[in-house]
Amino acid sequence: MIEVVLNDRLGKKVKVKCNEDDTIGDLKKLVAAQTGTRADKIRIQKWYNTYKDHITLKDYEIHDGMGLELYYN
Amino acid sequence: MANRTDPAAKSIRGTNPQNLVEKILRSKIYQHTYWKEQCFGLTAETLVDKAMELDHLGGTHGGNRKPTPFMCLVMKMLQIQPDKDIVVEFIKNEDYKYVRVLGAFYLRLTGTDIDVYRYLEPLYNDYRKLRRKLADGKYTLTHVDEVIDELLTHDYSCDIALPRVKKRWTLENIGSLEPRKSALEDDFEEEEEKDEEDQLVAGLEDDGHGKDYYRGRSPARERDRDRKRDSHRYRDRDYDRDYERDYDRDRGRGRDRDRDRDRDRDRDRDRDRDRHRLREDKEYGRDREWEGRERDRRDRDRGRRRSPSRSRSRSRDRKDRDEERRKRHARSSASPRRRGDRPEDASTRDEPKKKKEKKDDGTDHPDPEIAAANKLRASLGMKPLK
Repeated sequence: MIEVVLNDRLGKKVKVKCNEDDTIGDLKKLVAAQTGTRADKIRIQKWYNTYKDHITLKDYEIHDGMGLELYYN
Repeated sequence: MANRTDPAAKSIRGTNPQNLVEKILRSKIYQHTYWKEQCFGLTAETLVDKAMELDHLGGTHGGNRKPTPFMCLVMKMLQIQPDKDIVVEFIKNEDYKYVRVLGAFYLRLTGTDIDVYRYLEPLYNDYRKLRRKLADGKYTLTHVDEVIDELLTHDYSCDIALPRVKKRWTLENIGSLEPRKSALEDDFEEEEEKDEEDQLVAGLEDDGHGKDYYRGRSPARERDRDRKRDSHRYRDRDYDRDYERDYDRDRGRGRDRDRDRDRDRDRDRDRDRDRHRLREDKEYGRDREWEGRERDRRDRDRGRRRSPSRSRSRSRDRKDRDEERRKRHARSSASPRRRGDRPEDASTRDEPKKKKEKKDDGTDHPDPEIAAANKLRASLGMKPLK
């Protein structure tokens, strides 16, 4: 179980607990549950790389405590 | 400037009509080439021409969320704000189904509650196919009445948050609307009458499967034949075939051959009936029993035409129906079951039990935070935290 931090630099900073083998899509659902936006409106990026929905966190090498950028579609 | 709302336009729900579409999507539409090229200087008349050229509906798609032309036209309508008569004309026209759906969508966004129900409900009878673009860019098959159902029951469609409308029964209670008159109501009464006749007739043929079986041989056929519906026109053969392949549960029980054909044709109508039955459950109490009958009949009707070409388009509906079917089967206990249903019941009864166990495992965690997280995950359909 890892904890990931998502920050949208506009005031929303959420910490989400998830498994390493969860996909980005699952992570978006968890974030949506916590922030109240819809899951399909969320975009998770790291610098200019937009993370795709079907790839797991482990494959993206997202570790515990790592920060991701939260954007909206 | 091209993106300004018509200064003579009224404000909708207290705001600039274009604000019904949220900011990010709005900017995406303004930057889209379709908007810039085609939607410049459109009036109500020229908008109709553009609408006639539509060939799919949808929200945004792709990685950078490009809007569809359908969205651009909705936005244009919000910008120029055509009169209600024009919108009603859009809806009433029968030739162009996308124009119809465009009008319906616009009315759902901007019309009053009563108007919404009054003008959108007749569209339930339109069974034509539509092409819908999904978020990943692929197309899927849907139908006009499905889209209307989505507009009336969900509050999010095509990437636009639909404004709230009052529930139908609220409006009925205060008297603004009449209770929903289904187009199938007359057929109900006929069917109930014929039901008794049928039971006597069926007694000879039956191999003793019980009441369900009798009811299953419902005379819906004749009823449906009697029905005068424009929707006949809109039914494609493909449509029939799509429905048939869904009922893979049970094998035919030595039916009369000539009944099969009619049954197959009419099965899809029964299915549609079930669909709106599901929604109207609160309002029409007799539906429960009716649905049970419907479903049993459907299950038994193994058409010869189990077409090999299967389209996956109805899988969503099938899932819904299956869930509903399972629920009903679980509850009703008196009627004798068919062979085919037993394993289905057994397996689905196991599944919820198993899921529950998993949930319990997760949410029983000593740490309350993790337990809460697991509960959320379970509600989203994910496995618990490790």
